Amino acid sequence: MGLLRKIRDTGQVAEPAPPRPEGGVPPQAREFGGSVQVRCVDAGSCNGCEIEIAAAFNPVYDAERYGARLVASPRHADVALVTGPVTRNMAEPLRRTVAAMPEPRLVVAVGDCAINCGEFAGGYGVEGAVSDVVPVDLAVPGCPPRPDEIVAALRRVTGR
Amino acid sequence: MSLIPAALATATALGVAGAPAGLVLPQRVRGWVVGVLTAGVGVAGGTAGVAALGGSGWSAEVPGLLPLAGTYLAVDALSGLFMAVAGAVVAAVAVYGIGYVTGHGSHGSHGLGSRGAQAVLPLFALSLLLVPAAASVSTFLLLWELMALTSLLLVLAEHRARPAVRQAGVWYAVMTHLGLVLLLAGLMVYAAQAGGETFAALRAGTTGISPTMRGLVFVLTAVAFTSKAGLVPLHAWLPRAHPEAPSVVSALMSAAMVNLGIYGLVRVGSDLLGGGPAWWWLLVMAMGGLSAVYGILQAAMASDLKRLLAYSTSENMGLVVLGVGAAGLFAHVGNEALAGLALAAALLHVVNHAAFKALLFGAAGSVLRATGERNLDLLGGLRARMPFTAGLFAVGALGAVALPPGNGFISEWLLLQSMIHGLEVPGVTTAIVLPLAVAVIALSAGLAAAVFVKALGVGFFAQPRGEQAAAAKESPLLMLVGMGLLAALCAALALVPGLLGEGLDRTVAAAGHTGTRPVAGGGLRVRLEEVSATLSPLWVLAALVVALGAVMGTVGWATRRRQRRTQARLWDCGGGAPTPRMAYTATSFAEPLQRVFDDMLAPEQDVDVTPVRESAYLVERVEFRNRVPDRIEHRLYQPVLDLLAAAGQSARRLAGGSVHTYLGYGFVGLITLLVVLVVGW
Ligand code: SF4
Repeated sequence: MGLLRKIRDTGQVAEPAPPRPEGGVPPQAREFGGSVQVRCVDAGSCNGCEIEIAAAFNPVYDAERYGARLVASPRHADVALVTGPVTRNMAEPLRRTVAAMPEPRLVVAVGDCAINCGEFAGGYGVEGAVSDVVPVDLAVPGCPPRPDEIVAALRRVTGR
Repeated sequence: MSLIPAALATATALGVAGAPAGLVLPQRVRGWVVGVLTAGVGVAGGTAGVAALGGSGWSAEVPGLLPLAGTYLAVDALSGLFMAVAGAVVAAVAVYGIGYVTGHGSHGSHGLGSRGAQAVLPLFALSLLLVPAAASVSTFLLLWELMALTSLLLVLAEHRARPAVRQAGVWYAVMTHLGLVLLLAGLMVYAAQAGGETFAALRAGTTGISPTMRGLVFVLTAVAFTSKAGLVPLHAWLPRAHPEAPSVVSALMSAAMVNLGIYGLVRVGSDLLGGGPAWWWLLVMAMGGLSAVYGILQAAMASDLKRLLAYSTSENMGLVVLGVGAAGLFAHVGNEALAGLALAAALLHVVNHAAFKALLFGAAGSVLRATGERNLDLLGGLRARMPFTAGLFAVGALGAVALPPGNGFISEWLLLQSMIHGLEVPGVTTAIVLPLAVAVIALSAGLAAAVFVKALGVGFFAQPRGEQAAAAKESPLLMLVGMGLLAALCAALALVPGLLGEGLDRTVAAAGHTGTRPVAGGGLRVRLEEVSATLSPLWVLAALVVALGAVMGTVGWATRRRQRRTQARLWDCGGGAPTPRMAYTATSFAEPLQRVFDDMLAPEQDVDVTPVRESAYLVERVEFRNRVPDRIEHRLYQPVLDLLAAAGQSARRLAGGSVHTYLGYGFVGLITLLVVLVVGW
C-alpha cells in the first residue's frame, strides 16, 4: 500500500521527451525494430563517461523509454557503447567483445577519448582511438558527454 | 540334482589349485593362469547358484574334514541367489583382473600381481562362493574367517606403494575381527541353546529358546552381519579398505563380500530364528535407514572416486537392510505377502547393486590404472581419452542412480511399492515407520543422482585438470571385456528383470516366507501379484527413447530454419580462453549440498591468511581448507580409541623390565589358578 501511495505521490520524474534528434540513422538500426540492447565496454576511460551513461539510464533521462536497454553480455547486445581511449590491455578484449555480438551490430564511441584519445592521446598505455580497433558507427563527443547527448545518440539507433 | 555338488567340487578344486599356481608360476604366466582359474571358480560357483535358484537343492555332510565338528554343506535357493551373484561377479572381475595384472600398465598393477596376492585371490573368490553353502555354525565361521583373512591380505597388496594401505589394513583387521567375535558369541549362544550346531538343528531347536536369548542372539549376529555389510555405525572399515585395496579386490569386496552380511542377516534372522518381535526389525530398519542417508551424504562429499563408491555401497546396503527389516516387520504382523515382496525387493537390490558396483569399481580401477589418480578434482577429460571406460562407468552410474532405465530403479521401485502398500497394515508402528522409510529411500535416491552426476561429470567430462589425467590411455582389452560383461549384466537386469522372478520367489520361500509369490516374472514384465502392480522396463525404455527422439527432433527442426550462421569464438569475457582450473571440481559441485546438510555433516573449514612482511593489509597467500570428517566415526570411535590408548599406557607400568617382577606374575597367576581350581571344583 505504501508503495502504491509513493508511486502516486511521486508522479512522473522523467523530463519530458525532447524532440527527435537530428542526424541520419545507421542502416542496421532499422533491423532492430525500435528495441536495442546495449552493452557498455570501458576500454580505458577515466570513468567520467561511465557516470554519464549511468545518468542516461536513470529515472530523469530514462533512456529505456526510447527502447534502449543495458545488458550484461555482448551475446545479448545489438550495440556496444565504448568509452575511453583503447588501452593496450583492452584492445584485444574489445575486438573479441564486438566479434561476440550477433549481427547486425553497431559500435557507438562515447566521449572524446573514444573518438580521438582525448586527454590521454600519446599515453604509453594507449593503443589508439576506438575506430583504430573496431569500426565505429556513431560517435558522441564531449568530455564527458552530457546524458541527454548520449540519450540522443541512442534514440537515433532506436528510431524513437 | 547332481549339478550342484559337481559344480561346487569343481569350484573348490580350481580355487585350491589357484593358490599354488599363484605362488610358484613365473610372473609372465601367473596373471593368466590365476585369472583363468579364478574365473573358473566364479563360473562353477555361479552355476551351482543358478541351479539352486532353479529349484534344486543339495546338502551333504563331510564328517572327517573338520576335527570335532565335521563339515556340513547345504544349498537352497537363498544360498543359491548369493552364490549366483558372487559367481557372476567373480567370473567377470577375474577376466578384468587378468588385464589389470598382465597389461602393460603405467600405475599400480604391481601390488596385485605379486606372488602372495595372486595366491590368495582364488581362495578369496572360493570363500565368497562357499560361505552361503555352509550349513553348520563351525563350517560357516571357518569359511567366514577364511573370507575375512584372504580379503585382508588382498587389501594389503599395495602396502609397499602407499603407507595409507597399512592404516586401512589395521582398521579392517580390527573391525572385521570384532565382528567375528560378536558372531562367534552369538552363534555359540544359539548353538548351546538349540542343542546342536548344524543349521537344521538350530532351525528345529529355535522354538525352545526363551525370547530374551533369541533377542540376544539376534542382536549379536545382526550387529556383526551389518558391520560386514558396511552399515553405520560399524562402517568405518569400508571407506578405508575399499579405496586402498586394488580395484579388483574392491570390486569383489563391494559387490560380493558385503552381500554376505545381508545373507547372514536373512539366514539367521528370518530363516533360522524364524523371525521375531517388532523391535528386532525396527532396530534393523533404523540401521538401514541411517546408513542409506548417511552413506550417500558422505559419498556426495567425497572427492576420492573409490571412497565415493565405497560410501555408496554403504548406502545401497542400507536400503537392502531397510527392505529386510520391513520384511521382518510385515511377517511379524502376519502379512506374509508384503513381507515376501519387501524381501524380494531387498534381494533384487543386492543383485543389482552387485552388478553395477562391480562395474563402477572396475571403471574406477581402469581410471586409477591409467592416471594413478583417485582424486576427482584432478581428473576430468577422460571421456575423450578413455571412451570405453567412460561409457562403462556411465552404464554403472545409471544403475546406481535408481532412475529408469537403470537396473537400480527396478529394485528401488519394488522396495517403494512394498513400503507404500505396507501403510495398509494396521498399527501405530507401521504408520510411523513406513512413511519415514519411504522418505529415506526417496532422499537417498535423489542424493545418489547428485553423487553420480558428480562422479561422471567431474571425473570424465570437461577438460583434464591434472597432467596425469591429460596423459591417460585406454585400459587393456581384457579389462574392458570384464567390465563389458558386467555392463551386459546390468542391462539384462534393467531390461528383463522378470526372468529372475521365479528364482526370487523361491529365495523368499527359502528365507521362511512361504505361501507367497511376490514377483511373478512374466519374462519381460515384473508383475507384483500381491499388490497388483506391473512394470515393463522395456516399455519404459521405449518411451524414454521416443521422448528423447521427439525432443531432439523438435530442437533440430526449430534450429534448422535459421539460415544465417556465423562462427564465433567462445565468449570468455574478453580475457583468455577458460582454463581447466575454472571448471567444476568435485568439491565445488558438492558445496551446495554441503551447505544444505551443514548440521548433519559438520564440515570443518579453515582459512589462513598470510600478509606480506611490509604491510598487514597486503595479502601474500590465502590458504583455504575444507574437510568433511566422518562424524559418526569421530564421535563413536575416537573415545573408544582414546580409552584403549590410555589403558595401554597405564598397563606399561606393569612391565617395568625387572625379571623378578615377571617371574612373580607367573607365580601369582599359577597359584591363583590352582586356588580357583581347588575351591571351585
Ligand atoms: S572523454 Fe573525458 S570523461 Fe570520458 S573517459 Fe575520456 S577523459 Fe574521461
